[in-house]
Amino acid sequence: MISHKEISNKEVIQEVFSLINQFQDLNTFITLNEENSIKKAEELDNSPSNLPLAGIPIAQKDLFCTEGLRTTCGSNILNNFIPPYSATVIENLENAGCISVGKTNMDEFAMGSSNETSFFGNVINPWGKDLVPGGSSGGAASAVAAGLVPAATGTDTGGSIRQPASLCGITGIKPTYGRVSRWGMIAFASSLDQAGPMARTAEDCALMLNEMCSHDEKDTTSLDNAIPDFEENLNSSLKGKKIGIVKDLDLSNLDNDVVEIYQNSLKEFESMGAELVDISLPHLSLSVPTYYVVAPAECSSNLSRFDGVKFGMRSEDVKDLEELYVKTRSEGFGNEVKRRILIGSYVLSAGYYDAYYKKAQQVRRLIKNDFDNAFKKIDVIMTPTTRGPAFKIGSKGDDPIQMYLEDLFTISANLAGLPAMSIPNGNIENKPIGLQIIGNFLDESTILNFAHMFQNETNWHMHTPEGIKQ
Amino acid sequence: MDKKTVTTISYLSRLKIDNENEQKIINDLSNIIEFVDQLNDVDTSEIDPLANPLEKTAKTRKDIVTAKNLKKKLLEVAPSANEDYFLVPRVVE
Repeated sequence: MISHKEISNKEVIQEVFSLINQFQDLNTFITLNEENSIKKAEELDNSPSNLPLAGIPIAQKDLFCTEGLRTTCGSNILNNFIPPYSATVIENLENAGCISVGKTNMDEFAMGSSNETSFFGNVINPWGKDLVPGGSSGGAASAVAAGLVPAATGTDTGGSIRQPASLCGITGIKPTYGRVSRWGMIAFASSLDQAGPMARTAEDCALMLNEMCSHDEKDTTSLDNAIPDFEENLNSSLKGKKIGIVKDLDLSNLDNDVVEIYQNSLKEFESMGAELVDISLPHLSLSVPTYYVVAPAECSSNLSRFDGVKFGMRSEDVKDLEELYVKTRSEGFGNEVKRRILIGSYVLSAGYYDAYYKKAQQVRRLIKNDFDNAFKKIDVIMTPTTRGPAFKIGSKGDDPIQMYLEDLFTISANLAGLPAMSIPNGNIENKPIGLQIIGNFLDESTILNFAHMFQNETNWHMHTPEGIKQ
Repeated sequence: MDKKTVTTISYLSRLKIDNENEQKIINDLSNIIEFVDQLNDVDTSEIDPLANPLEKTAKTRKDIVTAKNLKKKLLEVAPSANEDYFLVPRVVE
């Protein structure tokens, strides 16, 4: 429409802000970038661009540093932080022509699965005003599901793109660890964190991913492998391709509806010519406990930088430097973040390091070996993304382990560094739910291919909540 | 996980635990540690730890200055600074 001059870039951006305003109650954004966005749109109207994503409004998770635009990571401790530089992902997307319309709400430091740990309040799932959007990229998922923006950036440390995508009925992909630069992403668990796109369709995710991936010298874990055109393989035939079904996965605790929807999707893939193959991932059930050693250990180390000295908030009325650190951190961090820092300090402390941290790293290798073996005979693995659809705000109570188990199906891909995505594949009592597709190392193209072919045959990805336009 | 352990790890973490929250935190941490203790059911005696899925040593780059004269920009975002330094409460009497 823009290229045919039916509508100007400026009109598109103005419409985005009018929608954001109309859906303020969802609390999807922490900071808006209205003035700059309109300015950029006007520039595009005055000198049209051939850039691949020219004028596309994108919502950026508030975990990516954006030069000159407040970046809070959902935390009080960064309440006033205006970064002096932008993350590589942000630069890549803006260099491709995207307009960053604002920063989305999220669980504090990406630690949460319901967006309830944000210092800036809950995000509402557009599918029901009492429902969580999932987390930690809850604002991003809610913004896309409500049609405020066509796409958003998210990050995924244990499921933070896929779980909210499932709960909000959208598509999201976590690429292979190292595909997308982590420079300028506020670190939670450095060996697990990976950024990725969230959008309505797999095709839109592919377009986004083409621009987000890059080799970056500023990130020492950035991969320098060739980056394919992720659109190229979308329409390849699935005939003869093999889908791994994890026979160790106990689905008996799940809702009947979840299992039925999952099995219907597998049938859909079979009708497109794909074959189901039983595989064994014997250590899969240990992925959540492994994660809850590794992730807090890395978090306690990464979050030591927040000390009230160099950036972020600083508590007042302190008598010495030690009290400055303690008071700033105690006032700046929320309960879940504190809990994970404490666990991390515990598992890394003298006398416990071998018993917990080293042990978890050993089990992590076993989990990765399981995947390596499985992928010798299959192309992708499929599981439900989540144990059920969106749950009610406050319903998981104050029991951290209940919340941790939300990520049961998603965490293993982070531990093994594999690409994985969630696509909408059904509805339970008018609440969407997703299918997880896990791919082999560096093989985003194949999971996008499966996702796109599914979306050619079904229309779950086009379902929208009542009162929301497609 | 007892009161003494929580006091030690909160000191290491530079976090202050309020008296009213202490018992809740001890309980939560105990539950989490009990939950992760199931890792002990696996024999890992012959297994090398995996720290990072890429299993590569962090790459280094040439020692060339790429970001110059950032002092002003960086000091500007500090809670307290003068022209040259970050400011903190007096350290040496």
